[in-house]
Amino acid sequence: MNLSAVNPPAIEPSRASAETHAAGTPEKPQTAEPWTQRGGVYWMDCAKVTVRETARAMKDVGARFVTITAYQLPGNEGFRLEYHWDLDGRLLGFPFQLIGNSIESIFDICEAADWIEREVHEGFAIEFTGREYEPLLLREGEKPGVNLREEMAR
Amino acid sequence: MSYKIPMGPYHPGLEEPYKLEMICEGETVQDAKLHIGFNFRGIERLAETRNYIQVIALMERVCGICSNIHTLTLCQAMEQLTGLEPPPRAKYIRVAMAELERLHSHVLWAGIASKLMGFKTMFMTCFALREKVMDVLQAISGNRVNYAMNRIGGVNRDIEDPQALVPMVDELEREMMRTIIPIFTTSATARSRCAGIGILTHEKAVSCGVVGPTARASGVAQDLRRAAPYAAYAEMEFETPVEQAGDVRARLFVRALEIMESCRILRQALSKMPPGEIDAGEAKLVFTSGTATSRVEAPRGEVMYSVSWKENSRNPSRVHVRTPTYANMPAIRWMVRGARLADTPLIQASIDPCYSCTDR
Repeated sequence: MNLSAVNPPAIEPSRASAETHAAGTPEKPQTAEPWTQRGGVYWMDCAKVTVRETARAMKDVGARFVTITAYQLPGNEGFRLEYHWDLDGRLLGFPFQLIGNSIESIFDICEAADWIEREVHEGFAIEFTGREYEPLLLREGEKPGVNLREEMAR
Repeated sequence: MSYKIPMGPYHPGLEEPYKLEMICEGETVQDAKLHIGFNFRGIERLAETRNYIQVIALMERVCGICSNIHTLTLCQAMEQLTGLEPPPRAKYIRVAMAELERLHSHVLWAGIASKLMGFKTMFMTCFALREKVMDVLQAISGNRVNYAMNRIGGVNRDIEDPQALVPMVDELEREMMRTIIPIFTTSATARSRCAGIGILTHEKAVSCGVVGPTARASGVAQDLRRAAPYAAYAEMEFETPVEQAGDVRARLFVRALEIMESCRILRQALSKMPPGEIDAGEAKLVFTSGTATSRVEAPRGEVMYSVSWKENSRNPSRVHVRTPTYANMPAIRWMVRGARLADTPLIQASIDPCYSCTDR
């Protein structure tokens, strides 16, 4: 995979902060090709990268993990997870379409992802492989998926 | 021999329900586990059943302290989906409300922290001052808690005479300068209870991804009002206080200095408020399909909303909320390690935790 595509290298923290403050809106990361701005987020096409590769690349450039937003897609299309990272005020997004109900955990790379992985697991019954998790929001006797998974929440 | 001490979910040392399960050796905490979800409300699911008017009222109930911030973030996301741009006056009113809410939150926290320090006169002083902030909020919005100020494309109420509120801000600032800030920064009681305890190192703050005053007290200089300005913040002059020590005292200092900066921003917002409309004036809203994301610097740190919509639908198809306490709370584990058991109520309170936000 091309890590330079994941890594927005040309952003210099001090300059970027000054520019965003002056202009009022974040500037597009200077790796023009893979990034598209939409709905307040700079999105990257993640068809050829894994979630762990993006997490490592974000950690290397000093980005701050923000959250994971999970979506259940219509019919049998499965789920989409959007990973959000902040780089000097720019919100970067990495969408991943799940094959089945599982995706690799990034908890060992980024400890800030711990609670949200547990929450997504409990909300949608999605498995994050390579980690163990204790209950977060669910109480004894409640099954993962009870809160947000369409067929169970109804 | 180590032993377990459970604190919570219902405990005199905690203001709201969560559980801190500590493993201690003697009086020293070796490790801790956090348990949340005791009041989980499933608001994200509920939001999918509400239309674009009702969902604002619903999300205002995510938090009782920073209710305005939640509607502001949600409305900013929905404005991206509808293509509506709030007029300049509405943006200034949003800034004024956001800073009043920050003042209210920080003064409330100072009162609770004082109580946990055993400094009850200070608790009463802080709460008396909080009343004054709430009086200003009530004068603007008509409400003391859930202000119902934000709408898609603007605000619901005008501040008819902004200059008339400036003396109230001056009085608030004088009172802060006269009592709260000197006592918190110089009193031996505050120092002995706060200095050197509950340390969150810079490295750990980065690795845990903490936000807001908790991050800034550990040397992480992030503030969305500067890094990604929203509303009218790009037109405001202010400083972002940052401390390096990472202890409870540093978190207290950061909030004390932020109180002064909030007064500074408020004065600018009220004095420079441009004339004009307070909303975009669209009677019928048309949402485009897609997802929009908005972030705002709440009193406790970054709030993020991701809102998804399907065309011609009246309801959002998904609303995801990431609250600041959700990012900050896991760091308590590292703050209490090595601390005295008696200090743990104050340490956990020093992040200004909001269980309502966390159990949204």
